[in-house]
Amino acid sequence: MAGKGGKQSRSSSGLSGRKGAGDQEEEEQPLQAVLVADSFNRRFFPVTKDQPRALLPLGNVAMIDYTLEFLTSTGVQETFVFCCWMASKIKEHLLKSKWCRPTSPNTVHIITSEMYRSLGDVLRDVDAKSLVRSDFVLVYGDVVSNVDISQALQEHRHRRKMDKNISVMTMICKESSPGHKSRCEEDDVIVAMDSRSQRILHYHKTQGLKRLQFPVNIFHSGSNEFEIRHDLLDCHISICSPQVAELFTDNFDYQTRNDFVRGILVNEEILGNQIHMHVTKDGYGVRVSNLLMYDSVSSDLVRRWVYPLTPEANFVDQKGRSCTYSRHNVYRGSGVSLGHGSQMEENVLIGCDTSIGANCYISNSVIGNNCTIGDNVNLDHAYIWNNVHIASNVVISQSVVCDKVEVKTGVTLNKQCVLAYNVVIGPDISLPEGTVVSMHHPDEEEDEDDDEFLSDDAEVGHSKDKTKLKAFNPAEVGAEGKGYIWKASSLDDTEDEELVRKNCESEDSEPDDPDDPVIPSPETDDVKVFQMEVLGTLQRGLEENIGFDNLVLEINSLKYAYNITMKEVIQILTSVVLEYPFQQQGPQLTPAQYVALLLPLLKKWAPVFKNYVKRVQDHLDCLSAFEEHFLEQDSHWPAMVKVLMNMYQLEILEEETILRWFSQGATTDKSRQLRKNQGVRTGHTAL
Amino acid sequence: MPGPDKETDLTERIEAFLFDLNRGGSGAGPLRGSAETARETTALLRRITAQARWSSAGDLMEIIRNEGRRMTAAQPSETTVGNMIRRVLKIIREEYARSRGSSEEADQQESLHKLLTSGGVSDENFRQPFAALKPNVIEAINELLTELEGTTDNIAMQALEHIHSNEVIMTIGRSRTVEAFLKDAARKRKFHVIVAECAPFCQGHEMATSLSKAGIETTVITDAAIFAVMSRVNKVIIGTQTVLANGGLRAVNGTHTLALAAKHHSTPLIVCAPMFKLSPQVRRLSFLSDFYRYCEILSKVNVHCPVFDYVPPELITLFISNIGGHAPSYIYRLMSELYHPEDHEL
Repeated sequence: MAGKGGKQSRSSSGLSGRKGAGDQEEEEQPLQAVLVADSFNRRFFPVTKDQPRALLPLGNVAMIDYTLEFLTSTGVQETFVFCCWMASKIKEHLLKSKWCRPTSPNTVHIITSEMYRSLGDVLRDVDAKSLVRSDFVLVYGDVVSNVDISQALQEHRHRRKMDKNISVMTMICKESSPGHKSRCEEDDVIVAMDSRSQRILHYHKTQGLKRLQFPVNIFHSGSNEFEIRHDLLDCHISICSPQVAELFTDNFDYQTRNDFVRGILVNEEILGNQIHMHVTKDGYGVRVSNLLMYDSVSSDLVRRWVYPLTPEANFVDQKGRSCTYSRHNVYRGSGVSLGHGSQMEENVLIGCDTSIGANCYISNSVIGNNCTIGDNVNLDHAYIWNNVHIASNVVISQSVVCDKVEVKTGVTLNKQCVLAYNVVIGPDISLPEGTVVSMHHPDEEEDEDDDEFLSDDAEVGHSKDKTKLKAFNPAEVGAEGKGYIWKASSLDDTEDEELVRKNCESEDSEPDDPDDPVIPSPETDDVKVFQMEVLGTLQRGLEENIGFDNLVLEINSLKYAYNITMKEVIQILTSVVLEYPFQQQGPQLTPAQYVALLLPLLKKWAPVFKNYVKRVQDHLDCLSAFEEHFLEQDSHWPAMVKVLMNMYQLEILEEETILRWFSQGATTDKSRQLRKNQGVRTGHTAL
Repeated sequence: MPGPDKETDLTERIEAFLFDLNRGGSGAGPLRGSAETARETTALLRRITAQARWSSAGDLMEIIRNEGRRMTAAQPSETTVGNMIRRVLKIIREEYARSRGSSEEADQQESLHKLLTSGGVSDENFRQPFAALKPNVIEAINELLTELEGTTDNIAMQALEHIHSNEVIMTIGRSRTVEAFLKDAARKRKFHVIVAECAPFCQGHEMATSLSKAGIETTVITDAAIFAVMSRVNKVIIGTQTVLANGGLRAVNGTHTLALAAKHHSTPLIVCAPMFKLSPQVRRLSFLSDFYRYCEILSKVNVHCPVFDYVPPELITLFISNIGGHAPSYIYRLMSELYHPEDHEL
């Protein structure tokens, strides 16, 4: 397969001379990691149209470098980087970086394919190529972390040794109170776990949920100490057994890790696999999953929460990229010039060779390399990437300004604006809150939006010529501006990300359907499907004149397929049969017509009933379904007695049980009424 | 071909060392304590001298300077690395000068007269090749290594001159040198040690446990109690992270408080510092370097957690180094003996 091939790995020679990288070396197998350098969603769109997310600068360092540094410092010796969207750029970046030097303690293999559409695809490929030999660390290319996972790793290995490979995955979570800035709302989870073994019993995303349900059976297993926690921040770092890749292959519908976790938990009894969790108190581990997270991770980084991955550490070891660190978290690269009267208030990172004019006021901002900033510029929570020109008298607050953007004089960027690559704005214009400007026309996108599997990755549209025809709107981007507005709306307190999401809804594979939150208890779902199947079976039986024993056989196999109890089979069968005329002819049947249609059917299916309805309890079940049916169809009460009589005559129901049902206390007014109904009474007396 | 093999082996070692240095800051790395870092650095420099390709002293210095820059950048808070690089550079200069036959003294004289007459920074180009240079330099580096091995013992040996019977000694945090110093004194004398715990990392607790195991009467106090207790203390003995060129200290957080309290009570403050901690740097603003590993991450609060204090030289009574005791005002002289002025900036 052309698309799937291309394992362009590059192995470096000789790790022989390296010494001591922690306890991992005691194991015969070197620790491996799978790094997914694609997000498979479009949270950062349209910025990611020009640059893959893993290469977006965070504190002037590409995100993937943080992830690789994290992996290396935990003792990972072999990393497989899977790229899809703009794989060549990622590859180029990695080949130039220190990770691909022959002396790197962590051998990086780059595997690219256009075919990956989700995490599931990547792991299936891991399995297909049998890349992993033992436990591996699974991370995304946008995870920033300094968590020490060696303890979790040890626990994981210990569990696997003890329990014969039952535990397939250990997720790393960090304690962090709800509503904390570093928590991503989309990833808010509620977790029920066994406090002794740290086994996850229930895992649930809580975004947009009003109500939570826990299946009771999770509390019946194992030990008697449980924790239900909402104060956990998912670091998106998981230690996986090789089985994880196999399980992804076996279950080709698993797209995300969330699918996987839920699949494992639901099928725990069948497959016997378990997932554990490691909760860490210290350390930092966050996935930069949207622009809001980008903001909070950047500011945490500058405030040194991710020590030792601080901006001045220059861990990527690039020449001339070192910076000095001084009080109030101000970092300056080499060759920075600061004009007279300019102030760097606090938490400011300025890249190399950037010059800043006079009387500027900068706080809580990150400025990239080779930028020029004019006089009287006010930057607050601004993220300015490389080679940006900002003229004088500009105000930018809480916005992202990408590479090579030009902001002309007198421009004001209100909160949560995004200026994607190469945009020109101004002069003298104020962009309202939440404006996203890109050189790509939004229409280009809409053409492709139909494709639901579109991720960051899809090819750039073919509608180039169309775009070129459209002129830039000077009212939107200023007289000399270049770029198209993607979305301009006033947001109350919602984020950038929110709006980017609304803009491009195709959050691909992960089905954020409404049914997602409340896990539909599998039974109710199955019952419904079973009912449909029974209906179909009977219908076919009628059309093709299938013998009753074959019908029974079919229903029996359905019963096992959907794990339906006998009681439910009887009730469903009854209700399906009683509904049958309505199904066929529509609900406006008169009682007389109904009876006329139903009676021959009953006669035909009597053997089926007789096969199931045997014991007294079965009769009662059948009758309760009967009652339920007519409670809903109160206009057909006249028909009821005839049907009942017929069923009696066909020996589906017995006299005693009908009497017993009749005399049994009715629970609701309506059912009492039903019993009082003239017809039934007469029927009763007739019996 | 042995040549390229050697080269890769060397670069591999350098990379591994850089990696360790990088991780050293998190406390997870294998390098613990500055003495070990100093030894590792020197051993690596010896290896570079032995294995790298160079024909003249100038080449070698350039190589070492380049690698040195990377090493210092890998862990900016650890000054020992830079110090050892400067020491080795100085050794190369000396050996070169000796090979040329010029007197060592003349080269390092730094008089006003010389400054005025010589014009340029240095007319030396170090280009002349000498066959004997390599073994000589390696020999000198070996000597340096031996010196490094013995530093802690040399300092500890002087303990009896400074600690007398029934004295009350105060110290702060944990310093291996001070620990060895006190333990050495405890073999002959009986005295009481008060340890300030040095929050938030509380290395003082470890120190106190270790001292009491050695049979020294030890009390742990909180940092807030330093001033209150100071009136009973006879001597303050502390370690330091770096000795600066002006005779000041860059020492663990809380030391400045301690030094001020000692000054107020006119208690002598003795600093145990091996020579390799002597750095040609003067005070820089960036004395903050922090580990936020132990606290909850807060979103709306700026937390500053400085790890090092600057202690001005006037608060310090005496330095005890492996070559004897010195007053802070004498540090400049040691500096010019150990490092060449041109190497101050790598």
